[in-house]
Amino acid sequence: MSTTSTEEERSTEARGDTILEVNDLKTYYEDGGFLGSNPVKAVDGVSFDIQRGETLGLVGESGCGKSTLGRTLMRLEEATAGEVKLNGTDITTLSGSDLKQFRKDVQMVFQDPDSSLNERMTVGEIVREPLDVHDWKTPSERRERVRELLETVGLQEQHYYRYPHQFSGGQRQRIGIARALALEPEFIILDEPVSALDVSVQAKILNLLEDLQNEFGLTYLFIAHDLAVVRHICDRVAVMYLGNMMEIGPADEMFDQPANPYTHALLSSIPEPDPTIERDRITLRGTPPSPRDPPAGCPFSTRCPVKIRPSAYRDMDTDLWERIEVFREVLRERSRADPSLSDRVRKLLGRESHRAGMDEIIPELFGELDVPSDVMSHIREAADYAENDDEDAARAYLREEFGSVCDHERPDQLSVGNRGRLSLCHRHEPEYEEPAAVFETLVQ
Amino acid sequence: MSTTTETEIPLRQRVAENPQPALIWAAVGAVLIGVELGAILQVVGAVAGVVVNLIPGDPGASAVQSLQAAFDAIPTLVSRDVIPNQGYWDGTGYENTFLGLSPAVAWAIRVVFVYAYAFAVLAWAWNGYKRFRRHYRRVDWTPRDDVVNRFRGHSWGKFGLIIVITFVVMAVFAPALGPTTMEQNILQPYDYEVSYWSEDTQSVETVLVGEANLGSGSQGAGDENVAPMTYDDFGRFHPFGTATNGKDLFTQVVFGARISLTIAVVAMGIAGLIGLGLAMITAYYKGLADLATVLVSDSIQALPVIMVLILMLVIFQNTWVRELYDGAVLIILIFSIVYWPFIWRSIRGPALQVSEQDWIDAAKSFGQTPTQVMRKHMAPYVFSYMLIYASLSLGGIIISVAGLSYLGLGITAPTPEWGRLIANGQQYVASPSWHISLVPGLLITLVVTGLNAFGDGIRDAIDPQADTGDEAAATGGGA
Ligand code: SF4
Repeated sequence: MSTTSTEEERSTEARGDTILEVNDLKTYYEDGGFLGSNPVKAVDGVSFDIQRGETLGLVGESGCGKSTLGRTLMRLEEATAGEVKLNGTDITTLSGSDLKQFRKDVQMVFQDPDSSLNERMTVGEIVREPLDVHDWKTPSERRERVRELLETVGLQEQHYYRYPHQFSGGQRQRIGIARALALEPEFIILDEPVSALDVSVQAKILNLLEDLQNEFGLTYLFIAHDLAVVRHICDRVAVMYLGNMMEIGPADEMFDQPANPYTHALLSSIPEPDPTIERDRITLRGTPPSPRDPPAGCPFSTRCPVKIRPSAYRDMDTDLWERIEVFREVLRERSRADPSLSDRVRKLLGRESHRAGMDEIIPELFGELDVPSDVMSHIREAADYAENDDEDAARAYLREEFGSVCDHERPDQLSVGNRGRLSLCHRHEPEYEEPAAVFETLVQ
Repeated sequence: MSTTTETEIPLRQRVAENPQPALIWAAVGAVLIGVELGAILQVVGAVAGVVVNLIPGDPGASAVQSLQAAFDAIPTLVSRDVIPNQGYWDGTGYENTFLGLSPAVAWAIRVVFVYAYAFAVLAWAWNGYKRFRRHYRRVDWTPRDDVVNRFRGHSWGKFGLIIVITFVVMAVFAPALGPTTMEQNILQPYDYEVSYWSEDTQSVETVLVGEANLGSGSQGAGDENVAPMTYDDFGRFHPFGTATNGKDLFTQVVFGARISLTIAVVAMGIAGLIGLGLAMITAYYKGLADLATVLVSDSIQALPVIMVLILMLVIFQNTWVRELYDGAVLIILIFSIVYWPFIWRSIRGPALQVSEQDWIDAAKSFGQTPTQVMRKHMAPYVFSYMLIYASLSLGGIIISVAGLSYLGLGITAPTPEWGRLIANGQQYVASPSWHISLVPGLLITLVVTGLNAFGDGIRDAIDPQADTGDEAAATGGGA
């Protein structure tokens, strides 16, 4: 695999007709309630583009920011920074009639068909509402169009005067799709459109979406957490983690040979459809860090199984290295959790904090391992800081000692392969070993 | 497809294609309305009078007055003229009463007639809704049908509804219900005369109503008491007895119902609209709008309601606002201002909940305007909650108005008001004249109970889980 830095390459590369271009988009929430608290960095600097007529899948665990990204593209959330260009126009600053025109060009299909249809309106009124809002032709032509749309999505025109309650989940999702099609948009954001449906219905809706795409030349952004669905319907896939786009590239290539360590982990978590193929499972330890306080370097650095080690520790025993990472994770968790009131009282009284003391944690983590004395002294040093309730100092100390480029520098999106794949990982830089190779050694 | 044309037919054409159910209904309606056309036009005249009154300079006041007079002249079925009860005994039989019956029986027949007519009209309206649903409505099911059906199965709610209707009918038909009229018995008693059979002279004599009243007051002592369902010395029948000053209690009670219900409904309507409007705005925009409303409503709610009322009424004591409609306008304004925070608080939860629904985002995503989103996608879900809390707090207003009048603030005399009647008879509760306080007191209790039952009925109808589990009880209490 070739690994080269890519900023120019990406923009010059002609992959066809770009409909949507997103540059360094950030969406932060300030809704913490406490003044001065860190904002939630739901989308933290994401860049990608979508070609006309393609389906881009957007995957990631819940809370990774994929829904917020979709809502920001829809202008349902305001972007904090960056630009979103639809057909060359930045839509983050639109207002008035330009915004209204944009509202016509981009539509959304929502995840939960129970909640996305106003159940006090008839199906006809629901599908017609976008047409009414945009004063589309005459009222009778609108009714005509609604009936056509109902047929297009596989419903019957006499459903016009029924209420959503009278339909099954799959049928309701069809109503939602008909509404999204009403204004003849060119770009549709599908926010987990099948995840609330029965498995038996999912395939039908997916087929419908594909048919509609062919018939009307639609472009889709398909948000999903189910990788199997994505593999089925998407041309390209983007993987998000903690507000960052970890990897983006052609779906087949990415599923067969994931480049980014996070994609590796994500893919190995889905059951292989073909049970004869043995895939080695990589289970991720811990939970994603809080999006209020993301890691300074690589977003995945707190959990990455193939994180780059500083040269001094490159030959360290894998188990020990693992335990040190766990120790850092423990400190991170502790600094996130506010000390309870009784802890504070104890501290004021000069008594020991009730939280699990370092003298419990250290033997637990490192007890049965053979720890070299210099490493142990670093651990003790950090433990001392933590014992005095200064987790931040402890974390800084460990970061200084055991941190690597993964902890210090945010990686760039580096190109992988020759089909426009990008991956956010230092390991694609020439001086490091490729993630895939390291995974090989891990699972042996 | 064949359905293409079917679904497009406008209502008029659908009726034309199957006219029978609509025609029958319309014919019955024509009869029902026809017999009371005079009364309906009188209401129109009264409303016109109010409008003219509100415009500075009273333009066209004389025209309106002549119009009112003309309307008054139209005979109506359910009226005092058709079934008169104010007659007298002439030694051999009753004169000037309906079919020569006794005043008590004639009055009872009229009351039964009034209620029969009112319920016939309601039944006709309900039947019209059912006919529409069965024969003409394009959709064969709407979510509201379930609510209606659930309410129909809710005995307690229906009981409440019947009580409420009874009181509304009482207020609407007050002039026809009383054994005597406001004008003759209460407002201008010295301008009218009554004829009566005098035992002493064994002949029919006449006396001024005012003087007759003086001789028939209920003041506790045995011979100075006219109990419910009895005649006084002047042959006048008093269904609820008389007040201390000899005026007919029933007449005062039914007109009191007018005042109390009007104040309560109008004040609650205004408070409800303010509350609903603010709930929409605060739920849609959240953040600062919500915070500001919380602050304002908390400040208003922190004030003791009765204190504010008394204070305001005292402040405005001698101003023109206090004079409008015997003080009712001022009371309505004060109650609206005091009650909207309560309504807003109660529906804020449901409003926020509905604002989180995806269909709001969907509407925003295709460019629906905020006002339309609030009106079409939020308000219908919150409206019924508003109705619940409004009906539950109507009783509170009725009680408060009575309380104010009891204190001599509220509605100015001589306009009858329940609270003042209670105050009036208070010193006689332990005497044979107990009825003066007790009857209005019982009526207040009854109407408040009815309103609460009605509110419970609506709540269970819109929220069917609410009557089964404790969890729902908690929502009801907490909301
Ligand atoms: S940059 Fe480092 S921590 Fe991040 S994914 Fe690559 S190897 Fe893992």
